[in-house]
Amino acid sequence: MSNTILSLRDLRKSFGPADIIRGVNLDLQADERHAFIGPNGAGKSTVFHLISGNLTPTSGDIVFDGHRIGGRSPQEINRLGLSRSFQITNIFPKLTVFENLRLAVMRPHGLQYSFWSFIDRNARIREQTERLMEQVRLQGRATTIAGEMSYSEQRSLEIAMTLASDPKVILLDEPMAGMSNEETAYTADLIREVTQGRALLIVEHDMEVVFSISDRISVLVYGEVIATGTPDEIRNNAKVKEAYLGEEVTA
Amino acid sequence: MKTRIVLVGAGVALLLAAPLLLSQGLVNAAIQMLIAALFACAYNLLCGQAGMLSFGHAAYFGVGAFATVHAMNAIGGTGLLPTPLLPLAGAVGGLGIGAIAGWFATQRTGTYFAMITLAIAELLHALAPHLKGLFGGEAGVSAMRMPALGLTFGSSTQVYYLTLVWVLVSIALLYLYTQTPVGRLTLGLRENGHRLRFLGYDVHKLSVLVFAISAMFSGVAGGLQVINNEAANYVLFDPSLSAAVVLNTYIGGVKVFLGPALGAALMTFFGYAISDLTQSWLLYQGILFVLVMMFMPAGLAGMVGTSSTLRKRYGAAALAPAFVLALLAALCLSCGGAFVVEMLQRMFSQDYRALASANAAMPSPPITLFGVAWSPASVITWLVPASLLAIGGAMAYFTRQRLQALDSQHATGAATANQPHVATTRSAA
Repeated sequence: MSNTILSLRDLRKSFGPADIIRGVNLDLQADERHAFIGPNGAGKSTVFHLISGNLTPTSGDIVFDGHRIGGRSPQEINRLGLSRSFQITNIFPKLTVFENLRLAVMRPHGLQYSFWSFIDRNARIREQTERLMEQVRLQGRATTIAGEMSYSEQRSLEIAMTLASDPKVILLDEPMAGMSNEETAYTADLIREVTQGRALLIVEHDMEVVFSISDRISVLVYGEVIATGTPDEIRNNAKVKEAYLGEEVTA
Repeated sequence: MKTRIVLVGAGVALLLAAPLLLSQGLVNAAIQMLIAALFACAYNLLCGQAGMLSFGHAAYFGVGAFATVHAMNAIGGTGLLPTPLLPLAGAVGGLGIGAIAGWFATQRTGTYFAMITLAIAELLHALAPHLKGLFGGEAGVSAMRMPALGLTFGSSTQVYYLTLVWVLVSIALLYLYTQTPVGRLTLGLRENGHRLRFLGYDVHKLSVLVFAISAMFSGVAGGLQVINNEAANYVLFDPSLSAAVVLNTYIGGVKVFLGPALGAALMTFFGYAISDLTQSWLLYQGILFVLVMMFMPAGLAGMVGTSSTLRKRYGAAALAPAFVLALLAALCLSCGGAFVVEMLQRMFSQDYRALASANAAMPSPPITLFGVAWSPASVITWLVPASLLAIGGAMAYFTRQRLQALDSQHATGAATANQPHVATTRSAA
């Protein structure tokens, strides 16, 4: 497949004697939305940690956009164009929403070590930050302390931070967890919209969302991918039904 | 914003006029206060803004001091730089050693970071007396301020102005730093360094940078100290200096930019004014620190912020009685506390014990305190501080009641408009 942007080859991770990821193979197309599902403890978040540099693989390859990124630092991987969100909200809780997003927006502008310019004077960064806030419906919250917002607003902020660097690949780890139905519907639309022209790998437990937004789905059970395919193929896969979906989807 | 500019302007004007108003001794104290204020501001960049609690910042103050003293003595005593520029040597020394120490210390965070900074400072403290060439052994290194630019730097007033210019410029630079991209990132470092990595930032490099800048300005403070004292000794590396800057910074308040400067200036002044009056100054310093941490963890500057928030919410008129009550409570409690401390200190002093055992007929001779002779065996003596403490405690209790009453009135009266809160939290940040 020539259009592959991220591929995992026989990826393994052990913690001491415990083999958590036991040979995962996965190809992510440059413009597809790909969901990662599986029962609790299957290792979905661990795979995300391996891809994003939070953990070092025990063996196997992770190739992103022609670079072997297995074991590289999170900041290197991010700069290559891969950005992620976290299952447990991971923001700057005592800073304002605007400040949270601005920190995320600044990096691609190369302002990492700049102490000869004033950040408030940078119109481009301000505009981009404001645009992101509008995109996730937080424009009225610019001066609110991020940690004081509702849980779902914090999740929206986290998605906006993930988008800030205009990445080629986005990893979202349970972005809808803890959201109401209305918020989930909005966030699903949002994810569809903002992932136009990029690849998305998403872990989500809301099956309705998974089947509606994904082009393809991979099922992870006990550290192995037992099936990959379109939503219809996964729905009708006997192995998947047995291992995970059960009556939830057939009903 | 406007009131802030006016306040800063007034403060600077007052500092400029200070030598005209103060005695020679107070000018010397003012120099110490300015140096301590700069040191605390430099420290707060690391501690308050970047969230890295260093327990060994005396190291960079000391390195700056020794770099400056050697620069003064360079080229046969004429000095590497003209006298007004000498603190630059301290800056370079602080920056260099800070970058090296920071590279190691910032490999870890939290407690481990604190322990590494402590170890580095102790290393320098232990090494310094043995490296006679560099640190002058027990005696230290002395130097002379050379005349430059038509100024002799012979009087305290001239040294005061030299110190003032350096401190104001340094604090201004530290403030401007907070407005730059890297200054904002520093706050991100405090809040969530882990997230910064996943936004593409090299957190270790950033931490070393912040550490080195903090050490650089600490070095300037050390350099100013040497220019003032014309000597440097390995005692500069003493852990008590590292502890003092932590206490000053927290007493002043880490969340407000000028808080640490305020705390350091006040504590230095008290140290100067009170250490002649009492032998228990360190005890008072400790009590003050504990009280601040217990009852107003945002520090003195944080208290100013809180009271202005309250004033906006309830109005000055409604708040005035509570404010007066709080002031009286503080006064009564400090008088009562000071009475007890001073009385006990005298009672347990060796002189007094010797006096008491010498005269068997009078086992507890009276003690003179605040111009009155008190008998330690008499109940009345102890009733004085006890009643002061009781009255103070009661007034503190009523202040609290009063504030709670205001709060519940406000909650029922204006449940609709709760917006000012947002504005105040932003200005505090």
